[in-house]
Amino acid sequence: MEHVWDFSALLNNKQLLLIGLRNTLILAAVCLGLGLFFGMLVGAARYSKKPLLYWPSTVFVEVFRNTPVLVQIMWFFFAFPIISPFDIDAFSAATLGLTLNTTAFSSEIYRAGIRSIERGQWEAGKALGMSYGEQLRRVILPQAVQRMLPAFMNRAVELLKMTSLASVIAYPELMYQAKIISTIEFNPIEMYTSVALMFFAIVFPLALLVQRFELKHKAR
Amino acid sequence: MEEVLRIEDLHKSFADLAVLKGIDLAVNRGETIVILGASGSGKSTLLRCVNFMEIPSSGRIVMNGRAVGRAVDGKQTYSEKELTRLRARVGMVFQHFNLFPHMTARENVMEGPRTVLKLDPAECARRADTYLDKVGLAWKADAHPSELSGGQQQRIAIARALAMEPEVMLFDEATSALDPELVGEVLGTMKELADEGMTMLIVTHELGFAYTVADRVLFLSEGRILEQGTPAEVLTYPTQEGTKNFLRGHGSFRLPEPQLD
Repeated sequence: MEHVWDFSALLNNKQLLLIGLRNTLILAAVCLGLGLFFGMLVGAARYSKKPLLYWPSTVFVEVFRNTPVLVQIMWFFFAFPIISPFDIDAFSAATLGLTLNTTAFSSEIYRAGIRSIERGQWEAGKALGMSYGEQLRRVILPQAVQRMLPAFMNRAVELLKMTSLASVIAYPELMYQAKIISTIEFNPIEMYTSVALMFFAIVFPLALLVQRFELKHKAR
Repeated sequence: MEEVLRIEDLHKSFADLAVLKGIDLAVNRGETIVILGASGSGKSTLLRCVNFMEIPSSGRIVMNGRAVGRAVDGKQTYSEKELTRLRARVGMVFQHFNLFPHMTARENVMEGPRTVLKLDPAECARRADTYLDKVGLAWKADAHPSELSGGQQQRIAIARALAMEPEVMLFDEATSALDPELVGEVLGTMKELADEGMTMLIVTHELGFAYTVADRVLFLSEGRILEQGTPAEVLTYPTQEGTKNFLRGHGSFRLPEPQLD
């Protein structure tokens, strides 16, 4: 059977798609921001010699790195409300799942980044009379962040793609909107092709940027 | 003579390994002390205990007549805050320079006054200029460490330590990582400091430097001071077998005086 490509239904539902696109970007941005922030704390906790900090953070990281994000999102939407005292909407469930996942991965990036700085740098700061916090803030992080940047951007790329998983709990991001439109208009080919292209248009430039960063870093 | 630093019965062990086994040493203001010894004799550890990069296992460090830490049940205990303040008064120069690569030479020198001493920007700038000039590298102020030779990097590291205007300077094999042709410029800077009356503890393998610059030479062996005295006493007329062996090893391949004119 010959398919006749027809994108008119897509244009008719432009508004719905734009809402989807906006929600995708919001979800990704919120989860990235929160994930990087909490990742720093968890990464620091995994550096700690105190068992009360080290063990919970380590368990957290391993659990979230080693279970599928889809399962995490479903769990927060369908299972978590049963044991939690408050209701949870699709956005919160998706945010929880994706943020905790990003937290787990970025905490490892922080850890590896900080570990990659030679001991002599800590010692030089310490010998000058810097406190631990000053050593970290003035000496270690400025160098480590530069090394972490490509990895963080990779996380952003992954996260953008993972937001489509929120469609399974009816969060109206790009993928969910496409599903809705395609069932109304019977045009899955055009819809999913368009969504794929839209994701590609956002993610590919980011991925290129990561590659350029990595090349620049290697050249140094 | 005014005593700046006194080390009393200093012991340091790492796990089961006893590295320092009772060091006593009094350092006068302006004195230049060179510490010699085979590798593993504890010289670096001794230096690192003075500014508490390593915490002594027992014994006391006395700075300007005041013991660092508090005695609790006969053992010194230290608060991190006190140690941080003490380190700001003791400069340290490392074998591998450890300059901050994300800062220019000038920013490296200003970092201590700025972050640790919290001096105002004008005073930080004045110190940066003064000490860059002192090590002869004012013209490299805006260079990053990666753009400098090893010798220049080490001189910047010296300026960085000096900018704190410390009471004592510690040099931990400051020239060991340098190419031979770059050693001279760093030793020259160190000699100038000694001549100006800086109090210095120097761990080095440069015997010629020790002979020329030191007021006192210590020879460490197995965590103890085996022999000490003026350079001539220790290096020319050693009395202990350990010192003699060490000097024999160093003197096995010697140049006759090179004629350079």
